[in-house]
Formats: sequence, structure tokens, C-alpha cells
Amino acid sequence: MKYSRFLVLVCCAAGLIGQTGRDAYREAYDVWQQTQANLERDAGTGAAPQVAQADRAAAAVMAFEATRLAYLKSSAENAAQRRRILQTTTTRSSPDLMPPAVANLASAELKTVTRAIAKFAADKDRGIQQLRQSMERERAALAALTDTIRDRQKAVEATSAASVTLEQARAKTAAAFAEQTSQFSQTVAQMDVEGAAWTAYYGKLADAIQIANAPVAAPVVNTSTNVTTAAPRNASVSPVPLVRYLGTWTYPAVNGIFHGPQPESVALEVQAQNGLANGTIEARFKRPTGSLDDPVVRFKFAGDIAATPTQKFTLMTSDGAAGVVELIPGPAFNLLEVNFQTDPRANKIRSGNFILVKK
Amino acid sequence: MKCALGVLLCAAAFGQDAVPSNSATVDLAALELTAQKRSLEWEALAKDMNDRMARMLPCDPRALAAVAEVSRASEARLAALSDYLRAVSAKAFAETAEVRNLLVAEERQAVETRLQRADAGQEQTAVDIQSDALAQSVKRRASLEVPEKLLAQIAATIHQRAAAMEQQTGSAEAAVALLRDLVPKFEARDAAVREEFAAAESERARWNGYYAARKSRAQIECTITQIGASQPKGGKQ
Repeated sequence: MKYSRFLVLVCCAAGLIGQTGRDAYREAYDVWQQTQANLERDAGTGAAPQVAQADRAAAAVMAFEATRLAYLKSSAENAAQRRRILQTTTTRSSPDLMPPAVANLASAELKTVTRAIAKFAADKDRGIQQLRQSMERERAALAALTDTIRDRQKAVEATSAASVTLEQARAKTAAAFAEQTSQFSQTVAQMDVEGAAWTAYYGKLADAIQIANAPVAAPVVNTSTNVTTAAPRNASVSPVPLVRYLGTWTYPAVNGIFHGPQPESVALEVQAQNGLANGTIEARFKRPTGSLDDPVVRFKFAGDIAATPTQKFTLMTSDGAAGVVELIPGPAFNLLEVNFQTDPRANKIRSGNFILVKK
Repeated sequence: MKCALGVLLCAAAFGQDAVPSNSATVDLAALELTAQKRSLEWEALAKDMNDRMARMLPCDPRALAAVAEVSRASEARLAALSDYLRAVSAKAFAETAEVRNLLVAEERQAVETRLQRADAGQEQTAVDIQSDALAQSVKRRASLEVPEKLLAQIAATIHQRAAAMEQQTGSAEAAVALLRDLVPKFEARDAAVREEFAAAESERARWNGYYAARKSRAQIECTITQIGASQPKGGKQ
């Protein structure tokens, strides 16, 4: 489930993050560059704002890399599709349909009739002359036929020669494109690595700024709901930046990802203070035909921020049912997976699992 | 086996008059087999036509029937050949059109590759600026040494990728040049197939002409024999 969910999340992220197109990834690149402007220069003296900027830059570079990869992969698929013509042997006519028997037969007939004409050449009989004349016509027809057979033989040879030349050139061109495709795949693979490297870099950069600013023993996480002023980091608390959980999140109107009951709309608010997080969820689910379940689920949750990527909190629904909710950072900075379960109650939805997008 | 025979018979049955306009649906192999079969049938009848006729009396109806039979077989052979070559020509034409479209798309793609190369150059410049700025910051904060190393690695990767993309741009342009040269070769093949088709049609007309002449000779042989035979009869009257 975890692995397949991860794959679903990756696909979802690709769909949510990016349209495919060069303009889209260029736009994402510009956003990233603007987001990280002067970050390295300010890192030498900066503090919390630079940590938040590093987090935003990490999110922006992830979005850029995801958009670019989606574009390049789609472009590679299209190229492979249209280049298929180069992988196929070209059409040529069969030289076997010009058997030597054709020419031999016509030539033999021509000789026979020519001999017969010669035999009757001196005969003055009117009937024989008529016959000879008809043989002359036959000879003329055969002579013309022999010429056209020769012409077709030449045409067949010309087709064969053109086909051989074409086939050699096609194979050479196909090899050149295959080489290009291989180089392109390597570049795309390298970009994949770069994306991860950038994320790691911004993480370390934020850590380094924080270490320089941190008091000797930072006791608790001091956070804020404002993404632009992210909390100072504390390695002993969540290993994932808190901005990955905090703020306002919604269920996308289209292409939403869920498991179990299908949400129609979800609004999630998460805040944190002094190492504690709390929040509210209001969700409306699509009711299956014939179901009498109440489609609306509302609950509040609160709890300590844990030193794990998945944050688990206790919840209490608006009608008093207890339960737990998990907040799991998605594959992109703007995605958050929510998984909740409540105590069973009649005509109430008691679990849900879906991915939300940051507002 | 039965299936193959079915295809062959089907192709033979419909191939006489019309070849479907959609070249993709035409089974060239089946059309070729039909053409070969018709050719063998004609050859078997044609090679000893004159020997068979020589053993018949001039007005023997079997003589004219023999010429008619060989003529029909000849027409069937040349019609099957025509169907086959028409289908080859249509398929070849479709391939050429596809390759022309491919050239247009690849020329556009080559431009795109150049732009991507330019993008990589821009990234290279940007990461160099970042590296320089961070190097300055490291002087103030030693804790930045770790990210500095990571950034240096990223910069190296981007430089390497930019170099690879430079090479890729060259390869793309070379491949497009090959493709550009390939299109006229496709066109030359098409022209050759069209010539072959025209030559086959000419030959078809000539064979028909020959068999008409041969039939005419058989009729004259009969006529002059009948004149010879009817003259004594008329004398008696």
C-alpha cells in the first residue's frame, strides 16, 4: 500500500504541478529564480527569513524540475512515436513479379512468327498473303511487346536500386535518431538527480543558517502559519519543514486522489505553536447510492509535533467521536496526504484518505 | 494454413477490380502471392499454346478457345500485378508523406533542443552566481561549508549536462540533416514505383494487343481454309 500510494502520489504530483510545455517549465524556472534571489548572498548574515526562503526555494525547484521532466518525458514519448517510421523497412515492389519467363516467351513467339513470315514470303497465293499479313501484324505486336517488357525490366531494376539506396539511408538515419534518443535519456536521468540534489542543498543551507542562529539548546519549535516566515528548524522535532503541514489545504476540484470514501470537498487548517500543532477539517463526501450516511465530517485535532515525517494527532468530531488523523507530506511541497479514522457511529463516515493541495 | 488460404482467396477475389484506397489496410503480401499465382497460371497455359494449336485443324473451335483462355489468364496476371503495384505505390506514397511530416517535426524539435541548450547555459550562469555568492557567505559563516560543497557538486553536474546538451544539439542537427537527405530518397523510390506501375500498364496493353493479333491470325487461318474448301462446292453449282 505504501509503495503503490507513493507511486500514485508521484503521478498525482506530476499532474497537479505541471502542464507539459516549455513555457510552463520556463515559468516554473523563473519562479524558482525569483524565490531564491540573493539567498546565498544573504545566507552569510541571514536568519529565519532566509530559512523560510530556502524552504520556498526547495519547493520551487521541485516544481520546476517536475514540470521540466514531465515536459521532456512527454516530448520524448512523442518523438519515439513519430520516429517509428524510421524503424520500419521501407516498402518496395517485388522483383519476383518480373520472371525471365515473360521475356523468353515473347521472344520465342517473335522468332516463331518471324520464321513463318519468311517461309511464306515468296508465296503469291492470296490466302497465304492474307495469313502472312496477319502474321506481320502479330510480329509488330510482339516486337512492341518485347520493347515494353524490356522497359519494365529496366523500371523494376530502377525500383530495386532506389529501394536499396533508400533502405541504406533509412537505416543510417534511424541509427542517428536512436543515438540522439539515448543521449536525451541520459540527460533526463541527470535532471532527475539534479532535482534531488537541489532539494538536499536547500535543506542543508537552511540547516546551516539555523545552526548559526540557534541558541545553544533550542528547546521547542517556534512556528507560524505564515509560510514566508517559517519557523526555526530543530533537528530533534519534525525532519520535514513545518510548512509542509501548516496552512490552509483543500481537496482539488478535479483529479483528486483518494482511497475509501470519495471526497467532494475538504478544507483543512493547521497551525502550530510551541511544538504543538492543532487544526480543523471539514469534509463533505460523495454519498454512494442508497447510503444513509451523513456525508459531512467535521473534526478538530491537536498534538505534539513528532520527529517523524508522518504527524499523528488525536481528533474529536463535532458530534463527539474520538479518533486519529495522520498528516503525511506529499511528493511535492504543495501536497499533503490526510488519513483519519474515528470511532464507529451509526450513519457516520468513520475513515477517509485523500491528498490535499495547499491553498 | 486455412486462414492464409482464405486471405489469399479473398485478396484474389477483390483484387481484380479494386484496391481499397486506404493503403494501411492492404495486405501487400497477399496481393503479391495472388500476382505470383496468376503469373504461374498464365505461364503454364501460354508456354505451349502454339504447340497445342498446331495440332488442331484451322477451324477447330478449340484453337480460338485456346487463344481466348491464354488471353484471359494473361489479363488476370497483369490485373493482379497492377493491383499489387498500385497498393505498393499507395503505401510508398503514405510512407513518404509521413517522413515529410517527420522532417517538419524534427526540424521544430531541433530548434527546441537548441533552446534547451540555451536554458542549460542560463542555469549554468545562475548556479555560478549562486556559488560565488555562497563562497563569500562561507567566509562569514563556516556552517555554510556543507551546502557550499553540495552546490559545487550541483554546479559540476549542470556544467556536465550543458556540455552533454551541446553534443546533443549537434547530434540532433546531424540527424535532421540525414532526415532531410532521406526525404528525396523516399520520393525517388516513389517515382521509381510509379514508373514501374506505368511500365506494367503498358505491357498489359501490349500483351492484349498481341493476343488480339494472335486471335486474328487464327481466324484468318480458318477463313482461308474455308475459302479453299468452299470453292469446289461453288463450282459444282
